[in-house]
Amino acid sequence: MSERTRPGGLTALAVINIVFCGSGLLGVLGMAALFALMGKMADEVPEKSRQQFEALQKMGGPRLVFMFGLSLVTSVLLLLSGIGYLKQKRVLGRLVGNSYAVIAVVSSLVRVFLFAPELGGGFTIGTIIGLVYPVLTLVLLNTTFKDDLAN
Amino acid sequence: MLVGSHTWRHLRLISANWAGSAVRSGSGLVFLLIALVFGLSVAHLVLSPVEMLMRQERSQGRQVSRAEVVERIVEAGRPVVRWSLGVKTEVQEAETSPAAPDPFGRSAAVRRDPWSSFLLDERPALLSVIFLILLFGMPFVISFLAFNQFSGDVQSRGLRYLLLRTERGNIYWGRFLGTALFSTAVMAILIGTIALYAGAKIHIYSAGAMALWSVHGFAALAVLMLPYLAVCTWVSAMIDAPFASLVVAKLVIAGVLVFALVGKLAWGPAVYFKYALPWGVQNHLLHPEWSHVLGAVAACLGYAGVFLMLGHRHFVRRDL
Repeated sequence: MSERTRPGGLTALAVINIVFCGSGLLGVLGMAALFALMGKMADEVPEKSRQQFEALQKMGGPRLVFMFGLSLVTSVLLLLSGIGYLKQKRVLGRLVGNSYAVIAVVSSLVRVFLFAPELGGGFTIGTIIGLVYPVLTLVLLNTTFKDDLAN
Repeated sequence: MLVGSHTWRHLRLISANWAGSAVRSGSGLVFLLIALVFGLSVAHLVLSPVEMLMRQERSQGRQVSRAEVVERIVEAGRPVVRWSLGVKTEVQEAETSPAAPDPFGRSAAVRRDPWSSFLLDERPALLSVIFLILLFGMPFVISFLAFNQFSGDVQSRGLRYLLLRTERGNIYWGRFLGTALFSTAVMAILIGTIALYAGAKIHIYSAGAMALWSVHGFAALAVLMLPYLAVCTWVSAMIDAPFASLVVAKLVIAGVLVFALVGKLAWGPAVYFKYALPWGVQNHLLHPEWSHVLGAVAACLGYAGVFLMLGHRHFVRRDL
């Protein structure tokens, strides 16, 4: 079987995936640290961040754990699909990539309804920024790079 | 010399193919992401304080006063606009110009700074601030799209196969046109998204005013991209290595501005070095007077023409 030449865009997509995975995992670590210290920090929160801190406390444990889980899952899917793009694999690249994109879109929309406005909830331009990459991934994987992920 | 029909066909083919495959090549994808994220982040920075203010008013059960919101926007936007346009502050103006009655009955603020007043009072201030920041920032982003128009193909000797089928000039102009088409499409998506969002979420300005000013801003950005694209085309035609082409393009675009700003500290006339690129004229694309706007458009097209001709001259003579 002849080796397909990997297009530059697919390589770029893979690199961006891995970078976003890294920043996502850092975000997950930050969230974990925040949850662990939330109870102890209540008295030390500066005045201008108090509204956000109280909104975070009001959200409740299950919702926070759900968002934490979603962030972790999307980070892992980013890494796996990035590797899939580099190897031009159909399952690891296209399927996992599409799964990441769908979960990321759902996660952005969930954030719109689940998070208080003080925590970036509600539909804002931040939501659109968060949707740019997943939507681009969905479009590119199913049109431009459809035939390149066939191994 | 008349251009043959086969030349137009080749130009159309090459430019359409290049624009369509920009994302596939990687540079278009990176440019698309950076341009969208940068542009939307600028819009987020400008719009979120207004949204927060309106949300606070509503949560306190108060009717959102349009006049109050506009006043707050203008107050917050004025320093940004003045800095972008290089306008003196009111304190500096008061010290240098004696107060005198205006024969046209204009207010003191308008007399001192008609350009800022036009952008903030006569046009949707939110969009004006966003456009000014984008006019400043987009030239730094455009090199991600245009740095590899020829470098990679020359380095891999792949361009030779294309030269069997068409002329060098067609490849040069076709790829530039394709790159320009792609960047225009990205600007359209960006400005369209910002305008739709601002119009739907922040009901301060009329739909007509938002639409007209958005079209003007989009046209300004589309025209502004051309000379910087032309610089990148010239650099890509000269340098075989894509990464080197990107670095040199960035150094040229940013270096001219930095040299002018830093150089004027040591030697006043060094500030005119910014006119080596459209840095000195690009803000006039948003000027209140149409003569300035058309002059800025002509200047941008002139710059693009000069850089393209220099690049074309080099490309048709060099060894590929």
